[in-house]
Amino acid sequence: MRYNEKELQALSRQPAEMAAELGMRGPKKGSVVKRRLVKLVVNFLFYFRTDEAEGGAPGVPGPRGGGPAGSALTALSPQPVGALLLERCRVAQEEPSGFSISFLEDPERKYHFECCSEGQCREWVDALRGASYEFMRRSLVFYRSEIQKMTGKDPLEQFGISEEARFQLSGLKA
Amino acid sequence: MKLNQRSVAHYAMSDSPADHTGFLRTWGGPGTPPTPSGTGRRCWFVLKGNLLFSFESREGRAPLSLVVLEGCTVELAEAPVPEEFAFAIRFDAPGVRPHLLAADGPAAQEAWVKALSRASFGYMRLVVRELESQLQEARQSLVLHRHSTWKATAGRCKPPAPDRWSPGLENGHSLSRDCSPMGLVEEGGSRPAGRGWAEWELQGPASLLLGRGQSPVSPETSCFSTLHNWYGQEIVELRHRWQQRAQCSQPECEKQDRP
Repeated sequence: MRYNEKELQALSRQPAEMAAELGMRGPKKGSVVKRRLVKLVVNFLFYFRTDEAEGGAPGVPGPRGGGPAGSALTALSPQPVGALLLERCRVAQEEPSGFSISFLEDPERKYHFECCSEGQCREWVDALRGASYEFMRRSLVFYRSEIQKMTGKDPLEQFGISEEARFQLSGLKA
Repeated sequence: MKLNQRSVAHYAMSDSPADHTGFLRTWGGPGTPPTPSGTGRRCWFVLKGNLLFSFESREGRAPLSLVVLEGCTVELAEAPVPEEFAFAIRFDAPGVRPHLLAADGPAAQEAWVKALSRASFGYMRLVVRELESQLQEARQSLVLHRHSTWKATAGRCKPPAPDRWSPGLENGHSLSRDCSPMGLVEEGGSRPAGRGWAEWELQGPASLLLGRGQSPVSPETSCFSTLHNWYGQEIVELRHRWQQRAQCSQPECEKQDRP
């Protein structure tokens, strides 16, 4: 699947709903916790390298591909290491103050995140659970039908958008 | 830069509704070899939320490309071939070339431009927030309505008109002006205000796994009677207090009533 990295990088620079330095561990076996700047922008979770070197803990390899090349550039406009699209995912709180994100097609593959407090963790979990387009769509459809039941009127009619596919109970099937 | 591509592809193929679909011609675009004929390449496009996927064909098993429709504008454009109904997705980022696409006809072109330009997450969120506040308003006036009808039956106001008594909520937006003192307005408003984003975001993962059409707020509020009971708690409490007050003053009445 082709996509333009520059477009995603531009998205990663947009205002974030949440951003913090968290511990992050990928789903691969043997992955270790790394400090990452984690940034929630719409339904994407971006993660960046932090300033500090990654080799803090013993046995942890240095930054992948991190060298003098590009370091000056990335200091000016840091590029994300990666992004997660938050559709069809499950966000779970993990002991003691962390959370995990897994995706429906392979629920065993989990991305782990470590927060510095339970409060921070709850904030992230709440924000991530609301950060899905499909979640928004379902909320909208629910609100629309509740309002219709209560008032007898379609709340989208006044905006002239009641016919839009994205607001229908059952949209087009691909 | 990494991306959870398998999950993205899985989302593209999932049964969640598509917001627009159809064949479009595409030119160049990042990673596509230029076609010598200039007619572009015909692909099947699927718009899902803020993501535009292309497929080899309608039955394509894996998406060929992905465009995230954030921070972009969609406008009519000139195609390499004059009779095409072209449009472009432009990103306001340095070094990002626009995506040039063309529909088969003017109607399809218009529909695509419309669907793509409204595909951002922000647009969806705006409409969700608008409806959320509309629903809160409707619930508040329902609470007020119940307050005032209860007060009316308690004999402190003149009885309501029969139509106001009916459980039909056509007038859910209108306040009963004749008996809604400010105190009740505030009380009625306090509870819905507390049931904002925080609460239904907590329900997120559950609702992600629920079928479509179910309540994302909380599964039990989708039917009116539960909703009614829920808001009724406040009224029951007020009524209880009122009864207690009435009981306190009752001995005097009884004394007077006794021969």
